[in-house]
Amino acid sequence: MISTQLLRRILAALPCVAFALPSGAQTFEIQCPAGTTLHPAAADGTPNPDIKCQQLSGGDGFATMADGTQTYLFSFGPLSGLKNIKDGLPGTLPAADFLQPYQPNPASPSDPDTAGNPNGAVGLEPQPDAPGHVDPRPVMDVGVLNGNMPAPLIAIAEDDELFLTLTNVGQIMRPDLFEQHTVHFHGYPNASSFYDGVPDASVAINIGGSFTYYYLAPDAGTYIWHCHITPPEHLQMGMVGQLYVRPRQDKLTSGDDLGAHLLAANKHAAVDAAATGRSCSDILCTGQTPVPKAADSSGNTGVTGGQLYAYNDGDGSTQYDVEYPIQIHGFDPDFHFVGMTFNPENFTDSKNKYFLLNGRSYPDTVTPGALSTQVADGSDHFSQPLPTIINIPFGGRALLRFGDLETNEFQTLASLGIPMHVIALNARLLRDLAGNNLAYDTNSITMGGGESLDVILDAHDTAKYPAGATYYLYTPNLDHLSNDAENFGGLMTEVHICPGAVDSLKQCVGP
Amino acid sequence: MNRTKMTTWISTARLVPVALLAAALISGNAQAAAPGIKSSNDLFELRAQESFISQPDGNTVYSWGYGCANTATITFAPAMPNNKCPGMQVPGPTLIVTEGHPFTVRLTNGLPAAAGNTSILFPGLRIVSVSGGTQGLLTREATALSQVDYTLVADSPGTRSYYSGTQGDLQIEMGLYGAIIALPANPPASCGTGVAASNLAAEAANHESDFRLATAAYDHAATCYDREYLFQFSEIDPRIHRQVEEQLQAITACNGASGCPTALSVETEPYHPAYYMINGRSMPDDMDPNYALQYPNQPYNGNPHMHPGELVLLRVIGTGRLQHPFHEHGNHVRVLARDGHLILSEGDDTKLAGPLLFTTTTTPGLAMDGIFYWTGKGLNWDVFGHGYAGDSSTCTPDANGYYTADPTAPNYYEWCGDHNKPLESKPSGLVGSGGPVTLPDPNILALGPWYGGSPYLGGDATGRAAGATPIPPSGTVANSPTDEAGFAFMWHSHNERELTTNNAFPGGMMMMMLVDPRAYVIDEAK
Repeated sequence: MISTQLLRRILAALPCVAFALPSGAQTFEIQCPAGTTLHPAAADGTPNPDIKCQQLSGGDGFATMADGTQTYLFSFGPLSGLKNIKDGLPGTLPAADFLQPYQPNPASPSDPDTAGNPNGAVGLEPQPDAPGHVDPRPVMDVGVLNGNMPAPLIAIAEDDELFLTLTNVGQIMRPDLFEQHTVHFHGYPNASSFYDGVPDASVAINIGGSFTYYYLAPDAGTYIWHCHITPPEHLQMGMVGQLYVRPRQDKLTSGDDLGAHLLAANKHAAVDAAATGRSCSDILCTGQTPVPKAADSSGNTGVTGGQLYAYNDGDGSTQYDVEYPIQIHGFDPDFHFVGMTFNPENFTDSKNKYFLLNGRSYPDTVTPGALSTQVADGSDHFSQPLPTIINIPFGGRALLRFGDLETNEFQTLASLGIPMHVIALNARLLRDLAGNNLAYDTNSITMGGGESLDVILDAHDTAKYPAGATYYLYTPNLDHLSNDAENFGGLMTEVHICPGAVDSLKQCVGP
Repeated sequence: MNRTKMTTWISTARLVPVALLAAALISGNAQAAAPGIKSSNDLFELRAQESFISQPDGNTVYSWGYGCANTATITFAPAMPNNKCPGMQVPGPTLIVTEGHPFTVRLTNGLPAAAGNTSILFPGLRIVSVSGGTQGLLTREATALSQVDYTLVADSPGTRSYYSGTQGDLQIEMGLYGAIIALPANPPASCGTGVAASNLAAEAANHESDFRLATAAYDHAATCYDREYLFQFSEIDPRIHRQVEEQLQAITACNGASGCPTALSVETEPYHPAYYMINGRSMPDDMDPNYALQYPNQPYNGNPHMHPGELVLLRVIGTGRLQHPFHEHGNHVRVLARDGHLILSEGDDTKLAGPLLFTTTTTPGLAMDGIFYWTGKGLNWDVFGHGYAGDSSTCTPDANGYYTADPTAPNYYEWCGDHNKPLESKPSGLVGSGGPVTLPDPNILALGPWYGGSPYLGGDATGRAAGATPIPPSGTVANSPTDEAGFAFMWHSHNERELTTNNAFPGGMMMMMLVDPRAYVIDEAK
C-alpha cells in the first residue's frame, strides 16, 4: 500500500506536471497584443506600430544541397510573414499586419504566393466547436514539414517590443521523438532565464503547444538565434537563424546631427544626471555607444541622418545602402541521414561535407529566389529562401550581416577584389571607450559557432569598382569549396556592382 | 589490466536531462572561485606524474599531470574544505603570484622513464634564470627523476598558462598544463570604495565571505571586480592516452630483454577528441565542488554564481590544440586583457579598449581576462515580481539607476527603471499584473532541472508567483524554487558537438552559471 505522501512524491517527480497554475488548457496560441503599457494602442484600438510579432513553427523539413541531395532538417519554419520570408526579407511584422489571418490555399497551404493575407499569421482563427481554442488545422496544414534553412529572419527596431511565438508542430519524419523546441536569442544582454530558451535552465514547449517569447529590443546589432534543445543535434540539423535590431539612428533625418543625438541617448541610458554621455556609464555599455572621439562638447560630428545605419555610430561610419544576411553553417550528410532514420548519432567523428551560406552552397548561393524542395509527401515547399547574391548599387555600400552557428569547426570567408571593412563584432560596434573607431580592413573573416560580425563592402570609388564588375567571396579553407563529393562549389558566392540602384528585393535595376 | 576503458559507442543523443538531473542531485550547490596555491618562500615544487582521471560516462583515462612534490610552504587561496595539492592533478595546480615578485618553479620529472624528458614553458612570464636538467628545443628539460628550476617574474598582472615544452603534442594532450594568476602589486584604492564597498557590505549582510584573490585584476581603476572564476578549456582523445598506457605496459612486461622498446612512439594524429573539459572535468562533473573527493586528480570545477550587479572577472585559458567558441549566456563580456596585457584606448589610458564579446573564443596558448555582470537592465519587467497589491518593496535609484543604497535589501542592485513593471497580464500568483504576456499552460511545457520554478528571481518571488506547490517540487532539482530560484544560464563551447561526452549529450564543455538572489548565500568554499 503506497502512502499518500509517497504517492504524491512519486507523482511530483514525474516529468513536469503542474498543479499550481489554473489550467487554461491551451494548445496552439498566439500572443500579439494591440497595446502594452509601454506602447499603448490607439484610442480606436489600432495596434501600436512599435509592437512587433512573429510566429515560427518548430518541426522538420527538407532542403536541397548543391549536388542535388535532398537533406533532412530539424527546422524552424515561418507561420507568419510567409511572403516576406519567401522573398528573402525578415518575417517580423507590426501587430496590425500580423493580426490579419493567413488564408492558405488548400492546394498549396504553405505557399504564400497563392494565399490570402500572405503575410498574416497562421492560427488566428478560433476553433468553431471549442471556445477558447484556436483552430489547429491551418497551423498543421502550413506548419508541418515547412522548415526553412536558415530559420526565418527576424528584424525589429530599438525600443520595439517583440512577441515571438514558437509553435511546436511535431516532426513527421521522427514519430519516435517527442522533441521540444526553444528559441535562444543569442547575445541578448541581461536576458532572463525564462525567455533565454535553454531547456535545462527554464522551459521548453512540447508538441502541440505554443510559447510566446517576450523581448524589449536590445541594443542595435546583428544577432543570431537558434534552438537550444540538444544543441549538438538541433543546430547541426538546421535550427539556426539571424535577428537584427535596427538602430534608433535610422529614424533621424538630414536635419539631425548623429553625434549629438547619440550623446543625448547615452545620457538618457546612463540615468546619472552628471553623465556626459561621451562614453559609457558601465563597463558593458548597456544601452550606450561611446561618442566618436572627434565630436565636439555637445557630441556634434557634423554628420547628419537620413540613411540606413548598422549601429548608432554617431558619425555615419556604419552607413549602408542594402543589407545582406549571411548565415555560415555546415552540414554533415551522415548525421542528417541518421537524423532521419532513427540511427545512433556520431558527434566525435562528425565531419561536415556541405558548407553553407544561408543554407545553400555555390552555385545555388547565386540562384535568385527561394529554393524549393520536395518533402516526404511529394509536395514542394520553399526550403531555402535566401540567396547570397550581393548586389551593390553603383557607388554604394553593402552591409554583410554574418552569423555562424556551425557545430564542428571554424570557417573563413575571404573576399577577392573588394576589401572587407569589419565594423562590429558580436553585435557591438568596434569602438573603444575613448571613442576611437576600431573598425579594420581585411580580406577575410574567420568565424566559429556562436559568433556574429558585420562587414561593409564599400564600392563608393566607382573607378575601382565599376558597374558590371563581379567579385567573389569564397573560403580559403579550400577543402570547403566542395559539395560533398563534388569538388567545386561550397562556401562561395558573388558580389555584383549594379549599373544603377537596387530594388526592394535586392535586384539590380536602372541604367 | 588495462584501466582506460572505452565504452562501446552508443547513441544517447536523447539521454536528455536524466543523467544531468542525477548528477545535480549529488552536486548540491557547489560554487567555484579561482582556487590555487601560494608559496610562502616563493618556491613551487611540482612533479610531473602519471595517474588516472575520470569522465562522466564512467570511464577513467590514463593521464599525466603536475602535482605538488612538497606542500610544506604551500597555502591554498582561497582556503576551502578538502583543499589539497595531490601528487598529480589535471589541470596542474594554479600558481598564485604577485606582479613583479620573482618566484621559482622546481619541476621534478616523475613520469615513467620511457616517456623521456619533460619541461615547462611559461608564456608571458619573464625568465630570470633556469638551472638544472638538459637543454631541450624550447627550454631546459628535466630527465627522468631529475629536476629543473625555473625562476620567473610576472612583469604585469593577469592570467597566464603554463604547459610542457617537450613533445607538446603528446604531453599537453596527456594533461601537462595549468594556470598562473599574477595579482596586481598596487590595486587601485577606488576598488574598495563606492559601489565596490557597498557590494562587499551586501555580501557581509548576507553572511557571505569574500573569496577574491584581489580587488582588481590589474593596477587600473577600470578592472575592479567582486567575484572571479578561472576556466581552462581542453580536450582528450582517449585513443592517444590508451596508446601510451599500452606501450608502457608492453615496455614493463618486456623488462629490458633484447629487442624491447624503451621509448614511447605514440601517434597523435588523426585527432578525434571524445572528451571536452572545463578545468579538467566534463559536464556534469565540472559542477561538483572544488576538491571534491570523488575526483582526486581533478580538483577544480566550473560552477559560476553571482548576484545581480556584481562585477565578475573571468580568467579564460585555451589549452590543447583546438579553438573553442566559449559562449556566455546572459550578457556580453568586456575583454580587459590578452595574455596579461591590458587593452587600453589610444591617447587615453584611463579607458578600456578591449571588445565586448558574447562569445569569447579560446585559442590554444592564449589567455584572456574579461568582466561580466548581470542586472536585468532593459528587460522591461520586474524580475522580483514587485508591484502587487500590498507590496512594500522600494527601489531607490543611485546615480546609475540601481538600488545600492541599502546593502541589506533583498533586491539590492535592482534596476529601478523596471521596478514594479509587471510581466504577466493576469497572473494567478501574487505578482504585478497588467503586463504584456500570459504565461503558457504549464502542462504543455517541459521543465529543466535548473528551472527556478517561475520567470522571477528568488524564492520569495517564485513562491508568490507559483503558489503553495511551486514547480518543480523542491529537493529534486539543482535550483530549488524555495531556496535559490536563481536565473540559470548555460556557459558553454558553441562548437556544439563539444557538448558531448563520448557521443552522449549532455556532457563536455558546458556549465550552468547562476545569477542568485541576495537571499541565497553563495559560498565558494562549497
